[in-house]
Amino acid sequence: MTRSRTKLTQARIVLGIAVLAFATFSVLVPDFLSAGNVSRLLQNVSILGILAMGMALSIIGRGIDLSMVASMAVSVAWMLAEMNAGASFAHAFGLALVFSIAVGVINGVLIAYVEIPPIFATLAMGTAIYGFGRVFLLASDVNYLPDDWQWLNMIATAAPLGIPVSVLCFAAVCGLAHLFLRGTREGRYIHMMGDNPQAARITGVPIRPMIVGQYVLTSLVALVAGLLMAALVATMNTRIVGSTYVYDIILVAVLGGISLSGGRGGAGSVIVGTLLIGILLNGMTMMNLGYTTQNVIKALILLAALTIDSLVNPRDEQTSQQGDI
Amino acid sequence: MKIITKLVAAAALCIAGVAGPAGAQDASPSSGFYNALKGKKIGFVPIAMGFNETQAWRTAMERQAAALGYEIIVRDPNWSIEAGIQAINSLIEEKPDLLIIENIDNRSYNRMVQKSIAAGILTVQTQQRSEIPSDAYMGPDWNEMGRNAVEGMVQACGKESGKNGKVAIIQGALTAPASLLQMAGIDEALKDHPEITVVSNQAADWDATKAYQIATTVLQQNPDICGIVGFWDVADAGIASAVKEANLQGKVAVITSGSGARESACDKIAAGDFSYYTSYNTAGQGRDLNAIIRTLLQTMPEPGSKPFDLVSPLIRINKDNMTPSSCWSLEELAQIGG
Amino acid sequence: MIRDDLVRWRYRLIPNTVVGEILSKPWIDNAVPVLMLAVLLTVFGALVPNLLTLGNLGNLSQTVGEYLLMGLGLTIVVMAGGIDLSVGSVFALANLVIIALAGWAGLPMAVAIPVALLSGALIGLLNGILVGYLRLRAFLTTLVTLIVVRALVDSLLLSYSQDIGAAPIFSAFWDYLAFGTVYGMSVSFMTAVALAVAVHIVLTRLRPGWHIIAVGGSRRAAHNAGINVRRTVCLSYVASGTLAALAGVFYAARLMSLGAETGVGLEITILTAVVLGGTSLGGGRGSVVKTVLGVAIVVVVTNSLLRFNLPSGSSPLALGIILLLAVAIDVRWVKNKRKVLDQTYVAPTYFELPPLPDARRGAATPYAVNDHLATAEPIGLGLLDGPEDVILDADDNLYTGSRDGNILRLMAPDYTRVEPYVHIGGQPLGLAFDRAGNLVTCVAGMGLYMVRPNREVVKLSDETNRTVFSIIDDSRMRLADDLDIAPDGRVFFSEATIRYALHDWMIDALEGRGNGRIICYDPRDGTSRTVLPRLQFPNGICMVPDGQSFLYAETWGCRVSRYYFDGPKKGRTEVVIADLPGYPDNINRASDGTFWLAMIGMRTPAFDLSQRMPGFRRRMAMKVARDQWVFPNLNTGGVIKFDLTGQVLQSLWDGEGGSHPQVTSMREHKGWLYLGGIFNNRIGRIRLPDADQSWTSQSAYWGAPK
Repeated sequence: MTRSRTKLTQARIVLGIAVLAFATFSVLVPDFLSAGNVSRLLQNVSILGILAMGMALSIIGRGIDLSMVASMAVSVAWMLAEMNAGASFAHAFGLALVFSIAVGVINGVLIAYVEIPPIFATLAMGTAIYGFGRVFLLASDVNYLPDDWQWLNMIATAAPLGIPVSVLCFAAVCGLAHLFLRGTREGRYIHMMGDNPQAARITGVPIRPMIVGQYVLTSLVALVAGLLMAALVATMNTRIVGSTYVYDIILVAVLGGISLSGGRGGAGSVIVGTLLIGILLNGMTMMNLGYTTQNVIKALILLAALTIDSLVNPRDEQTSQQGDI
Repeated sequence: MKIITKLVAAAALCIAGVAGPAGAQDASPSSGFYNALKGKKIGFVPIAMGFNETQAWRTAMERQAAALGYEIIVRDPNWSIEAGIQAINSLIEEKPDLLIIENIDNRSYNRMVQKSIAAGILTVQTQQRSEIPSDAYMGPDWNEMGRNAVEGMVQACGKESGKNGKVAIIQGALTAPASLLQMAGIDEALKDHPEITVVSNQAADWDATKAYQIATTVLQQNPDICGIVGFWDVADAGIASAVKEANLQGKVAVITSGSGARESACDKIAAGDFSYYTSYNTAGQGRDLNAIIRTLLQTMPEPGSKPFDLVSPLIRINKDNMTPSSCWSLEELAQIGG
Repeated sequence: MIRDDLVRWRYRLIPNTVVGEILSKPWIDNAVPVLMLAVLLTVFGALVPNLLTLGNLGNLSQTVGEYLLMGLGLTIVVMAGGIDLSVGSVFALANLVIIALAGWAGLPMAVAIPVALLSGALIGLLNGILVGYLRLRAFLTTLVTLIVVRALVDSLLLSYSQDIGAAPIFSAFWDYLAFGTVYGMSVSFMTAVALAVAVHIVLTRLRPGWHIIAVGGSRRAAHNAGINVRRTVCLSYVASGTLAALAGVFYAARLMSLGAETGVGLEITILTAVVLGGTSLGGGRGSVVKTVLGVAIVVVVTNSLLRFNLPSGSSPLALGIILLLAVAIDVRWVKNKRKVLDQTYVAPTYFELPPLPDARRGAATPYAVNDHLATAEPIGLGLLDGPEDVILDADDNLYTGSRDGNILRLMAPDYTRVEPYVHIGGQPLGLAFDRAGNLVTCVAGMGLYMVRPNREVVKLSDETNRTVFSIIDDSRMRLADDLDIAPDGRVFFSEATIRYALHDWMIDALEGRGNGRIICYDPRDGTSRTVLPRLQFPNGICMVPDGQSFLYAETWGCRVSRYYFDGPKKGRTEVVIADLPGYPDNINRASDGTFWLAMIGMRTPAFDLSQRMPGFRRRMAMKVARDQWVFPNLNTGGVIKFDLTGQVLQSLWDGEGGSHPQVTSMREHKGWLYLGGIFNNRIGRIRLPDADQSWTSQSAYWGAPK
C-alpha cells in the first residue's frame, strides 16, 4: 500500500499489457475500436468481473472461495426451479438469498471456528453444495427461466444510454466494493486481516466474525452474478460447478495485483484484470481464433504478466512468507 | 430433399423391423416373453443423470422394468471417465444380464465394452458409439444431424431466401464425437451449397454462457449475419439470448438440435428463440432402448456375436410444423412411456 | 505409610509414560486418517457387497496405482512448500504422447515411454524454473500451466486425434502394463508401491529428502543453512511432473483412449487425497504414508458411493461432507495434540528421599553454609555463557563449553584472553582429557565427541543399544552430560535423561523416576553399550584410582554411588553418600586422594514431600502453567569434599549467592579450585592453601607429562 507512485506494481504492469493488447487489436482487427464492440467487450466479461470482485473480497482477507461457482449455480438454479413450480419472485428470490447467506456462514464458520484451511474448506463445500442442490433442491442440471419471467431477460439484455445492464452491474459491484474496502471500518479490517491476522487480532479486530462476514459477502456477490447470468441466457446449468470457471475467476482477481497471501489490492485491481481478459477474449474472438488457441494465448499472456511482476517485484528467501503458496 | 426422404424411409424401416415383431408378441404374449424378462438385472451407466436425456431414458426403462418385473441398476459417474470405468467394472463384477453404457466419447470405454462382452454380458451402447461394436447401438446418426443443420441453414439463408448466406457455427466441445461428426456432416453437406458462407466457427464447450458471449461478439462483428448454428439446445439458449438482446430476433435464424424436450425445444421454438430444430426425440429413444432390452433378453445371443444398430429417427421442428406431440416432457414420459 | 506404599506400587506397576511418549511420536499424526479409513472400510464394507473382494480390489488397483503415483509427486511438492495443480493436464499430455509415439509413430516402447516421461518432466521443469528460480507463486503458476498444457492437448487432439487414435499398439510390454498382474494387483499399483517406498526412504533418510522438508518447513532457515532452496523447489516440480506422466502412461495402457475429458479435475482429486492424509499445504508436515492413506480413503469413498446407486448429487454431497469432517478432525487433532502432549508427557512417579541433613549456617553437620566461594576470583566475567564444566591442560590453559556450541579456551596465565577453541554445534557439558591429550566432551543433544590437539572434532558416539519395547527411540542420545576415562581408554559417560532435551532438563526432576543411564564407549571397537540404566539424572562421573570402579552422582536422587566395572566386584553398585542435602552434579578428584562434588541446588522440604505425591505433581503439570510449577531449588549451591567411605570432609558455599549461587563443576589444579556453573557468566577460582601446589588431575590420571 505504501509503494511509491512510480513503482511498477502488478496492477500497473497488467494495465500496460492491457493497453498494449488493446492497441494491437485496434490495428489488427477492423471494428475493434467501435463503441459497440467496446461495450460488448465489457459486457462479455462483466459477470466474470463481478465474480472476481467477490473472490477478491475473500482473497484480500487472506482467504479464497472455491465454492463460489457452486453457491452461485445452486442458489440461482433453485430460484428458477421454484419459479417454475409457481412461486412468486419474492419468494423464490428470498430462498436463493437465504441459501447463499447460509453457504457463506457455513464457509466462514468452517474457516474461522473449525480452522480448516480456506482452500480446502471451500473446495469441499463446493462439492457438497452441488450435491446438496442436486439431491434436495433440483431435479436436473439445467433449469430454465420460466416464460412468465422473461421480463428479467428483457431487463438484463437492455442497454440504457448504450451501456449494457451487466456492465452497469459490474460497475456498481466494483463501486460498492471500493467504498466498502476503503470507506468502512469493516473494509479496512479485511485488509488488516489479510496483511497480518495475528496483529489484527491483537489490535482488537473481531477476526472470526469478520471471516464469516467476508464469506457471506463473497457468496452474496456470487448470487448477484448468478442472477445476471440466469437473466442473460435464461437458464442456469449447474454443470458449471464441475468446470474450470473458478480458475478463471481466481486468475482475473489475482492478475491485477491482489495477492493470494492477502492484504493487497482492491477494486481497481479487479477492474484492471477484468479489462485485460476482456480485451484478449474479445480480440481473439473477433480474429476468429479457436477456443483452444485462445486458451493457449490467454494463459501465456497471464504467465508473462506473472513473470514480469516477479522480475520487477522480486521475492526471495528472506522476504517471502512461509506457507504462502 | 432426396437424402432426407431416404433417411426417413430407412429410419421407418428400422423401427418397423424391430418394433414389428415385439409389438406382435405384445398383442398375444407367450409365457416365454414374461419369463425371459422376469427377475433380470440390467445395469445402466449414463454420462450423468443430471439432464433430460438420461432422465428420459431412465424413466422409460424403469416404467417397463416395473411392468415386466426386472431391475434397472443406475450408476451415475457424473461426467467422470474414471468414475464411469469404476461403475462399469463394478457392474461387470455383479454380472447383470444386460449392460447399457452411454459413451462419453468414442474411445474411453473401448476396453470396458470388450471386458463386458468377454464376461458374457449383453452390452448396449447409446448416443455415442465406441470403436468396439457390441450387441446393440442406439443413438442418432450425428453425421445426419450435421447434414440436417445444413438443411436448416439453406432454408433460412439459401438461394431461395434471398439472404446473403452468412452463417456462424458455435460447436460443442471440439473433441467430442457428437461435435466432430456433426461438423463432418456439415462440411460434407455444405459442398453442395456454395451460397452458404461460414463466417465464424468456434466452440462453446456445451456452455450457455460461453455460447452467449461468442454469439454476442459474432453478431457485433457481422451485423448482417443470416443464421447461427448451434449443436445443443441447452447451450444454444445463450445464442438465442444474444440474438434477442441485439434486437435481431426473427432476422437471424438460430438453428439447433437436441433431445426435443418441451422446455428446451418446443417452448423456445414457440417463443421464437429457435427457428429450426432437429430433434433425435429422446422419448422415442427410450422406447428404442426398451425394445432392445426386450429383444436381447428374449433372443439371448452370444454376447458380441450379432451387433445391430437402432439409429434414432430425427424430427425436424419449426414454428410452422410444430404440434403438441413434437416434444415430450418427463411427466408425460412417466405417464405414457416412450 | 501404608498410603505411601500403595502409591509407590501403583506407580511402579502401571507406567504412565506411555500416553505421552506415544503422542510425541511423529507417526501418531497418522492416527486420524488411519481411524477414518478403518471406519469407512467397516461401514462401506458392510453396506456395499463385494467392496473388499479380490476382484474389486484388483479392478481398483489400477486407479489406486495412478492416483498414488500422482499423489507421491504432489506430496513432494507440497512438502517443499509448493503446490502443483498442473498434474491433471500433464497426465493427459503423457497419455497423448505415449499413444502418439507408440501407436501412430510406431516407436518401440523403450523410446516411447521415456519420451512420455520426459514430456512430464519438462512441464515440471517449466513449473520449477518459474516457481523455483523466478520465484513466481506456485498456485497461480501451476494454475496457468494447467490451462496451457490442457489447451495444448486439446489443440493436438483436435487436429490429430482421428489419426493417432486409429493406430493400434502391438507390444507385449504394453499389454503387460495394461493387464499384467503381480500378486493379483496391477502393474501400476505395484510400481506405485515400490516408488512409494523409495520416496519414503528419500524423504526420511536421504539428504535430498531432508532438503525438501527443510525448505518446506522454513524456506528462510533452509536458505540460511546453505541449502540451495531454488534448486530444491525446482526439482520437486520435476519429480511431480514425471510421476504424473508415469501415471498417464499407465492410464494410456489401460484405456488406449484419447478422450478430451482425460485427467480433467484430477488435480482436485489428488490434492484432496494428499490433504486428507494429513499433509499440510504450505509445507513442513507430511509423509508418504499419509498420502497412501489419503489415496485409499478417496478411492474407497468414491467407489463405495458410486455403488450405492444413489440419486444424482448424493455422491458429491457425501464426499464433500466426509472430506470436511476428516479435515476438521485432523485440524483439531493437530491443534490440540500439542496441548494434550504438554499435559500428559510429564509422568511423575513415587520417590522418597532419606531425611534432609541440616545445612543451615552454624549447623553441626559438615554441610553448614559458609561464604568461602564468595571470595572466588572471577575469570572471563561476562565473556562466558554457561560454563558447565571446566578443565585445564598441561600448559594451564582453561577450557570450558559455551551455550552457543563452542569450546572456549582461556589462555594462561591470567585468563583474560578468550578464544573459541572449536565449534561443535551443541552445548558442550562434561570435559576430560585422555591419555593422548585429546579433549573428550559430552555434547547436549549430540553425544560424545573428541577434539584432537590439532582441533579436529571427531564424533565418538551418538547412539547406544535401544531398549527393547521402548516407545521413545532411546538409542539416540538426548542429553549426554559428564564423562570420565578409565585407564584402559574406555569412556564412561552419563546421559542425564532420555525423556527430555537440554532446554527442558529441569522438568525431569518432577518425574522422580530413573530416566537416565550410564553408557560405556569402547574406543577399541567403537561401540557403545548402556551399562547402568534407569538412574535418576546421572550426572558427574569420576574414576576411582583403583582403575576398577567409578563414582557417579544422581542429581534428583541426591546420592553418590560407586560402580565396579572391573575386578572382583565387577557389576556391583555401592551407595557412597545416600543423603546429600542438595542436588549433586560433577565429581572430580582432589589432590589428597579424596573427591570434590559440586552441588547445583539444595533440597527443600516442600519439594521432597511432593516427590512422594505423584498425583499432586501430575495434576500440577496438567492444570497449572509451567512457570507456576514446583521446581527443585537451584538458587543455592556449592562444593563439598568427601572420601570413598562417604564421609563428608568439608563444604564450600557462597552463602549470599553473589558470585556462585550454583555450582555444576569444579577442578583442582596446582593449588587452585576452578568453579563452573551452567547458569553462570564466569568461572571462579579459589586458592587451596593446604593442597599440593603442583598437583594436576592430568598427571594424577595419566602420569607426569612427557
